Amino acid sequence: MATVTTSAGPARAPRRSRTFGGGGPLVYGLAAVVVALTLGPVLYGALGGFRTNEQLARDPAGLPDPWVFSNYQGVLTNDAFWRYAVNSTVVAVVTTVVAVLFGVMAAYPLARYQFRLREPLFLVFVLGLLFPAAVAIIPLFILVTRDLGLGNTWWGVALPQAAFALPMTVVILRPFLMAIPRELEEAALIDGASRVGVFWRIALPLSAPGMITVGVLAFVASWNAYLLPLLLLRDEMRTLPLGVADYSTEHSADTAGVLAFTTIAMIPALVLFLALQKRIVSGLQGAVKG
Amino acid sequence: MAQTGAVAPAAPAAAEPVARRAVSRRATGHPAGSGGWRKRLEILLFVTPALALMAVFVVWPVVAAVRMSFFRWKGFGPMDDFVGWNNYALVLKDQVFTDAVMHNFVIVVLSLLVQLPLGLAIALLLNRKIRMRGLLRTIVFVPYVVAEVIAGVVWFQLLQPGYGVVDGLVSAVGLTPPEQGFLGTPSLTLWTLFVVLTWKYLGMAILLFLAGLQGVPDELYEAAQIDGASWWQAQRRIAIPLLGPTMRTWAFLSMIGSLQLFDLVWVLTGGGPANATTTMATYLVNQGTARSNYGIAGAASVVLFVVAFVMAVLYQIFVLRRDTTEAR
Amino acid sequence: MPRKTRSAALAALCAGVLVTTAACGGGDDSSEGGDGSTITWWHNSNNEPGKGYYEQVAKDFEADHPGIDVQVSAMAHEDMVDKLEAAFQSGDVPDVYMERGGGELADHVEAGLVRDLSEDAADEIEAIGGSVDGWQVDGQTYALPFSVGVVGYWYNTELFEKAGIEAPPTTMGELYDVVDQLKAADITPISVGAGDKWPAAHYWYYTALRSCSQDVLSQAITDRDLSDPCFVKAGEVLEELLAQEPFNPGFLTTPAQEGATSASGLLATGKVAMELQGHWEPGVMQGLTDDGKGLGAKTGWFPFPAVEGGAGDPEAQLGGGDAWAVAESAPDEAVDLVKYLLSDEVQKGFAENDMGLPTNPAATGSVSDPALAELIEVRDAAPFVQLYFDTEFGTSVGGAMNDTIALLFAGKASPQEVVDATQQAADQEG
Repeated sequence: MATVTTSAGPARAPRRSRTFGGGGPLVYGLAAVVVALTLGPVLYGALGGFRTNEQLARDPAGLPDPWVFSNYQGVLTNDAFWRYAVNSTVVAVVTTVVAVLFGVMAAYPLARYQFRLREPLFLVFVLGLLFPAAVAIIPLFILVTRDLGLGNTWWGVALPQAAFALPMTVVILRPFLMAIPRELEEAALIDGASRVGVFWRIALPLSAPGMITVGVLAFVASWNAYLLPLLLLRDEMRTLPLGVADYSTEHSADTAGVLAFTTIAMIPALVLFLALQKRIVSGLQGAVKG
Repeated sequence: MAQTGAVAPAAPAAAEPVARRAVSRRATGHPAGSGGWRKRLEILLFVTPALALMAVFVVWPVVAAVRMSFFRWKGFGPMDDFVGWNNYALVLKDQVFTDAVMHNFVIVVLSLLVQLPLGLAIALLLNRKIRMRGLLRTIVFVPYVVAEVIAGVVWFQLLQPGYGVVDGLVSAVGLTPPEQGFLGTPSLTLWTLFVVLTWKYLGMAILLFLAGLQGVPDELYEAAQIDGASWWQAQRRIAIPLLGPTMRTWAFLSMIGSLQLFDLVWVLTGGGPANATTTMATYLVNQGTARSNYGIAGAASVVLFVVAFVMAVLYQIFVLRRDTTEAR
Repeated sequence: MPRKTRSAALAALCAGVLVTTAACGGGDDSSEGGDGSTITWWHNSNNEPGKGYYEQVAKDFEADHPGIDVQVSAMAHEDMVDKLEAAFQSGDVPDVYMERGGGELADHVEAGLVRDLSEDAADEIEAIGGSVDGWQVDGQTYALPFSVGVVGYWYNTELFEKAGIEAPPTTMGELYDVVDQLKAADITPISVGAGDKWPAAHYWYYTALRSCSQDVLSQAITDRDLSDPCFVKAGEVLEELLAQEPFNPGFLTTPAQEGATSASGLLATGKVAMELQGHWEPGVMQGLTDDGKGLGAKTGWFPFPAVEGGAGDPEAQLGGGDAWAVAESAPDEAVDLVKYLLSDEVQKGFAENDMGLPTNPAATGSVSDPALAELIEVRDAAPFVQLYFDTEFGTSVGGAMNDTIALLFAGKASPQEVVDATQQAADQEG
């Protein structure tokens, strides 16, 4: 990752014909296979939610017949579901804000200042990629609950998650900040703006596409996180993935209900990610292009 | 957060339009600026929040895991039963753990061998100008965004022996599904797990490759087209070589991810059956929670980190180094 | 209570490493024991009728003991386990709480957290009889079991009839015949949730219980020494059973009781003929069927068969349960509360509400559920009830034992390896 030098810019010229070759039957056929394999399991879950348990037991692979809406209705009118959703949202938002803000702050000097410790410092963040949460999960748990007294709180989960999201954030944002034309900043500096002011007024807005990319990645990671919330959150504080796991235990006879629950639980992250998909791709471009 | 509060008062100075007064020549605050305490202070100000957060929530727990690995501790009462390297000896002699390391490496290698060409092929396909390209791109990212728990729950249903959809499909094409199911037959489970992993994480590869492909200048394709190159030739001669750094970056992330694999395995198989899918991470969590052997869990954590670190360093030296030197 | 699932076991870590009650689930200041006028009491009957019943019990006790205030906390089982662990860490233990016995209790005793009830409750201990064994450490009794169940085969009487089986098997040989008959009738004979390991481990516990004499067993537990050859024999008997291939397809990953495709779900929905499970099985099965009835009237039960040539008593049963314990720091009245909880009166009400399998002989006749009533008969006829070995040995040794037994189910470990792995874990504990 230390290689991420780039020319990726926040603003790009409108593109002309990017590729030649449209789609023959072969291309569409392949695309159809990819789509079927990719969406199959998700559709199975989504459609399963529209069936009864009896239908599922009779023919696991069938289509809903008749369509049943009570499963989804049941989930949407379930207080616990909304409580989990609120918890998931708050934790994900806090994680994202902290990770992106601290991340862009850290990436800025790494991109713009010349100092002796710059590369070693960057290496610290790259090394951070090597620490999976699972490695230190038990001490982390002791730290959060016993030493910080943040067990079973939103912050107790969001702060460690943000910390683990930081390496990726910095690694992606640095090339982004590097690509911002220096002239803009120099002009501001000449005007007497402070370095901090330049960061705040120029670098931050111009790196917004990159921040959206890392923000969405951090948000989705938090939304889907399982291990850390599992250890730290209980009862009223649980997040959706824990809710899914619990729901599938508590209502274990109700496979259709479980499928409906899981389907609804995946929607927010899916919508967010897919809506911003183009921005993420161009955001990542800065990080991966050599 | 307190840091940003401190930043705010300095900001208004830059509020005015920047271009207008750019003419006036004053001491140029050159980016590489002439050192001094002010620059150091600024760097410190920018970097401290991130470093502090990582120090507290990443570095400290890892250090604590290292300390824990030298004690016999049940998670109960004071940690005072120092056992030296004993936990490491137990971990390294434990066949369940050495098997887990094997599983991690099998997944690392398989991911590179299978997901790289597959991801590349799909990315190239989606980079063509075909109808509904936006929709197709959206679809291939779906599994990547779905939570591991959800993917696990759904795949577990699909893979039920006898009743599951997968068994139905397999028998529909005239094959006999394994009697114990794909997740219940120890000799098949790791491969089954890998299929699910590929389904789940291929989107990550495609995402990065598409991002990389966006950076390939159109002019190159146009030139190739004029020279009469076929689409495939253009991809092989232009796109794929230019994707080199992207592929190496992906390979690095994939490798680290495969070594740290936990969530999906835990939900889908719990490391079973018969330890056929244990990974280093499931091993250590199992030791720490189900068995209350916190010292052994600590030792396993350290081994996992060392393995990941050594591989990362080797990769940096032998693979990524090329990019760095080429780029300069 | 149903035993732990994989995720529940993980969540319990929360508990395992805590030092203050404030952590891990928020502060709980209700446990300020020791001022003499307040008794804190934690239990896990958080559904009706149990919850209301215990509230009434507390009120009755207060009426008989003027000036005493009983603070009752009803919690979900896993929550209670977590909070208790946290409480043990801080030493701030509720005055009256539940103990599962075995190695766990021994740890608490060693840490000086539990009150010795041997003398104060001598009459109750005498009345309960052999069931208290699991809650004794070095001959002293530290908790009074109020519900003890046994593990046995739950079966579908209709499917047995369909296969032409006239009577439940009483020996392993007969069990093999039953398996053959069921297979001939195209019925999957047995489900087992080996994915969760402990249901598979119950098989080994039972073959050990049937292969080893009581003396050998208790000596082995006291000395933490499994060198007697009967423990290897237990594995061999189990291998023999496995060779009959009686289990449901995919049993190595089958969960114990989560979902319709779990081991209990398969029995509840008539997909298999029987399952070896604890006394909680009817309740679990009810939760796994759409109509909430489980197997209903088709529910049958028979004890684990005798092992031909085994030194163990075929009447001995494997089981476990819950006991009331008193914190070392609790006021003396807490002991009175526990004695009251084991009284004829309270145990009878406990039985009438089908809250479990009462241990006070005066109450055993009051159980209304026929299946539970049958279990009590078997339990009380047993010369002794062996506590689940994993509880008996504690998490570390018990975990190693269960893991290797699951391997044996997969054909990846020999009977000798089960013994060796368990012994090794025991030796490591030092």
